[in-house]
Amino acid sequence: MNILSFLAMLILVITIITLVFGLIAYFLYKTRESKKKKYNQKIHYEEVLNETGDKYIFFEE
Amino acid sequence: MVKNFLIILISLILILLLGTVLYYFYIDFFKITNIFAKVGSSLILSFTTIIIIRYMLLLFFSILKIILKSSKNIDYRSISTDEKVTIIVPAFNEEKVIVTSIKSLINQTYPNIEILIVDDGSTDKTFLKAKEFEFENENKSLKVLTKPNGGKAKAINYGILHSTGSLIMVVDADSKLDKNAVLLMTRFFEDEDIAAVAGSVYVSNQTNIWTKLQALEYIEGLNMVRNGQAFLKLVNIIPGPIGMFRKKALFDVGLYDNDTYAEDCDLTLKLISKGYKIDFEPDAIAYTEAPENLLDLIKQRYRWTRGILQAINKHKSLLWNFKINPSATFTMWYMLFESVFWPFMDIWTNLFIIYFAFFSGYSILMFYWWSMFTILDVTGAIYCILVTGEKISLILYAIYYRLFFIQIINIAKILSTFEEWFNIEMSWEKLERKGNL
Repeated sequence: MNILSFLAMLILVITIITLVFGLIAYFLYKTRESKKKKYNQKIHYEEVLNETGDKYIFFEE
Repeated sequence: MVKNFLIILISLILILLLGTVLYYFYIDFFKITNIFAKVGSSLILSFTTIIIIRYMLLLFFSILKIILKSSKNIDYRSISTDEKVTIIVPAFNEEKVIVTSIKSLINQTYPNIEILIVDDGSTDKTFLKAKEFEFENENKSLKVLTKPNGGKAKAINYGILHSTGSLIMVVDADSKLDKNAVLLMTRFFEDEDIAAVAGSVYVSNQTNIWTKLQALEYIEGLNMVRNGQAFLKLVNIIPGPIGMFRKKALFDVGLYDNDTYAEDCDLTLKLISKGYKIDFEPDAIAYTEAPENLLDLIKQRYRWTRGILQAINKHKSLLWNFKINPSATFTMWYMLFESVFWPFMDIWTNLFIIYFAFFSGYSILMFYWWSMFTILDVTGAIYCILVTGEKISLILYAIYYRLFFIQIINIAKILSTFEEWFNIEMSWEKLERKGNL
């Protein structure tokens, strides 16, 4: 195998790994953002009320 | 002098090397007999030729611009300081970086300045930290304004409505300016046709491979490209960290809009569509904090890609407006090429070459493809380092840049394009600042 073929093979392997890695990274980013979004979501008082079985909650200052 | 000569010599050798690789690519292309491979290779070859021409033209225009600039010796004392400049810094939760940013603005050599920090409803100590710097004297002042959170575009507009200067400079809160930045940018406004001037953006936190690769991308892709565009007075994006505008022109186009995620690109397109000219001052420098990890980098590029596509979609009538406004049409097609065609073609080529190598064992195409672009990147990096004075070690990163960095970025761009195409809801929170400004 000459040097050019070896380099071509090496770059080919790195490219395949990078493409797969790039896809995984993008979906990891999307997962992280959707988790953050859920965590930051504001909940309405009525929703809390439904969850607690219509039992009123009082907040102390 | 010797250093410059060596760098020019190396660049010429690299361009010759590029020509040689391209020549062998053409020779090999004529040897291919399989019709499927022939069609695929001809697509790759023609696309590569377009990219090389684009690269060489930008490099050529950039060199011309620098030659023109060096022929006019700038005497800092002769620059008029009559025009008052209002610097607007929109800030939302920027407590980690706001002090550094403010200090760099106060230290500007331009004497006639009004600084307005617009706190966009921050929930941290941004307002309090900025408030400590409030002052007012004969020619310089710093005021902190606050308003309920409404986004960057609205915060800048709020600042413009409260400004007294005839020139408006917009600076991101996570950026710090070089002391002569304002002085150097104001001189362009002696030409009445100039509506805006963009400055150079450098990465301040070159701490790991991701930020170093971005540093290279900034000096090469942004500064070299902008210098080339500036030769035609058609800079297509005025960067968030440093941009100066004529106030009259801003009102003429209706200030910033908040209907895209790339308000700077949208505004630039509005100015170009009205026939205004936009220039670039490479020596007006802003240092900015780049994302330090891959997921944050993807997050930034996601916003940029979707924002630019939103701006292109908003002004899509300009795409077919060549007879009325050729500059605007050219800019729009250029942006479409950079943000959509190029990433798609790059990834498609890689997939085609991989598929072809697996089924025919012919993998040399990958070497041609990679080596040509790496030679271009190294040549561009050498040129930019000569022009900007950045670290020489960045040249080595040009190899990694083409090997994996740009592929990951292009995948993110393509997937973001699909999301924009299918109108998937976009929510974007600002990047978390590390304070490495």
